[in-house]
Amino acid sequence: MKAMILAAGKGTRARPLTTILPKPMIPLIRKPIMESIVEHLREYGFNQLMVNTSYLSADIENYFRDGHAWGVEMGYSYEGVMEGNTFVDNVLGSAGGMKHIQNFSGFFDDTFVVVCGDALIDVDFDQVLAFHRARKSVATLIMRPVPADQVSKYGIVVTDDQGRVSKFQEKPKAEEALSNNANTGIYVFEPEIFNYIPDGVEYDIGSQLFPKLAELGVPFYGIALPFQWVDIGSLQDFWHVNRMILNRELPDYPMPGIQVAPQIWCGLNVKADFANLDIEGPVYIGSSTEIQPGVTIRGPAIIGAGCLLEQGAVVDQSFVADYTRVGGIAQLYQQMIFAGKVISPDGTAIDLSDAGLNWLIDDKRRTDIITAEKSLFKELLTKDTLQ
Amino acid sequence: MNFETQSIGNVLVVTLLDRRLDASVSAQFKADIQAMIAQGTHNILLDFAQVDFIDSSFLGALVSLLKALHGKGELAVCSLNNNIHSMFKLTRMDKIFTIGADQSNALQQMC
Repeated sequence: MKAMILAAGKGTRARPLTTILPKPMIPLIRKPIMESIVEHLREYGFNQLMVNTSYLSADIENYFRDGHAWGVEMGYSYEGVMEGNTFVDNVLGSAGGMKHIQNFSGFFDDTFVVVCGDALIDVDFDQVLAFHRARKSVATLIMRPVPADQVSKYGIVVTDDQGRVSKFQEKPKAEEALSNNANTGIYVFEPEIFNYIPDGVEYDIGSQLFPKLAELGVPFYGIALPFQWVDIGSLQDFWHVNRMILNRELPDYPMPGIQVAPQIWCGLNVKADFANLDIEGPVYIGSSTEIQPGVTIRGPAIIGAGCLLEQGAVVDQSFVADYTRVGGIAQLYQQMIFAGKVISPDGTAIDLSDAGLNWLIDDKRRTDIITAEKSLFKELLTKDTLQ
Repeated sequence: MNFETQSIGNVLVVTLLDRRLDASVSAQFKADIQAMIAQGTHNILLDFAQVDFIDSSFLGALVSLLKALHGKGELAVCSLNNNIHSMFKLTRMDKIFTIGADQSNALQQMC
């Protein structure tokens, strides 16, 4: 069966993570979000996947390539042009992206599914397809009940007792919401849907295509299912979801690496004397990482691959990117080291270069930058008192 | 390097007026405050309410000043924004300097 993964967005709400990665490639304990989506689709028999790309398209296309490593066929529809050697992204919107592929080769020749590339879903597609076929619907959207006090974060959908969609409310106030079913951005379509999508303009499914169907009186349906829907829309989501996975609150999400001790998972070639380290999990430690004696780690924490944690460093409930050297004076409490910045869950970020902190935290592969500061700070800290 | 000073009790409150305190002002700042210490000022509170950004060299200047006091007095800070407070915590300087939410909070801690 055929499906489309929407992976062309810029992910502006997930900055600064998305300054160097497209949102579908944001890792949840090392595994890109979109990889879990591909696996889930394959599990339900969707083995021909078209992906629209734009922002940082190469990251997605070079990782998944033809999809063979996941037992599927994958292809890409890049939305943009090149000027000289620079990509100039030019997105078409979710419905526009679908139409572009359809105009190109008529790819969608039967019932197909469309999913966003930035959320973990474990929806039962068999149930969804059965509902869609029973209603003979041209379009079915999948909804999920959300707590009444959170409706203002979502696109709320109102359906009648047959499941026919009667109304959308975009982020309504709790007292104005007419249902607590949120649009999850997962859709089933028949090829007839393309009759309703104009050519050559940016067109969005939720905010344009569905209102058009409603306006024309074309019935379309929604099915509410209580599945696990983990949307990684923002930096805060990234922070919370990684913690949830480490705390095994998403028990089906596989922990990578090998479990070397209760609550400690490691990649290969990790240099660490666990018997003599002060480590409390849950923590994942990437391959070829060195943890010197005298380091303290408190979970939930993620240490990337190729890292060096120097003697004395404290990594407390923090995520450290690959190839990071964390100096002995460093004390990380609930921070994310990513793309040369130290980022707090509230979004405030210190650029290590701008702040001249490379002596403390830097790429491990750079030759050690000894500055006056390092010895100065160290001297102050190793004295018991200042007298 | 712009700042205003005011004595409150036996503490010299230095209100920093530059938004950005980096390598371009650190040396001058260190010299200015060191001069005050040499003249007998031993309790200093630095107010960062107007400051958006500090870099490692400025933090280093603070560390040097603390050493210059030879334990004879106190160097405290207050009104740090989130990023500046993060820098203190990242470098463990939150264990070395008294940090107040504002001037009165810091002054209370300094007695």
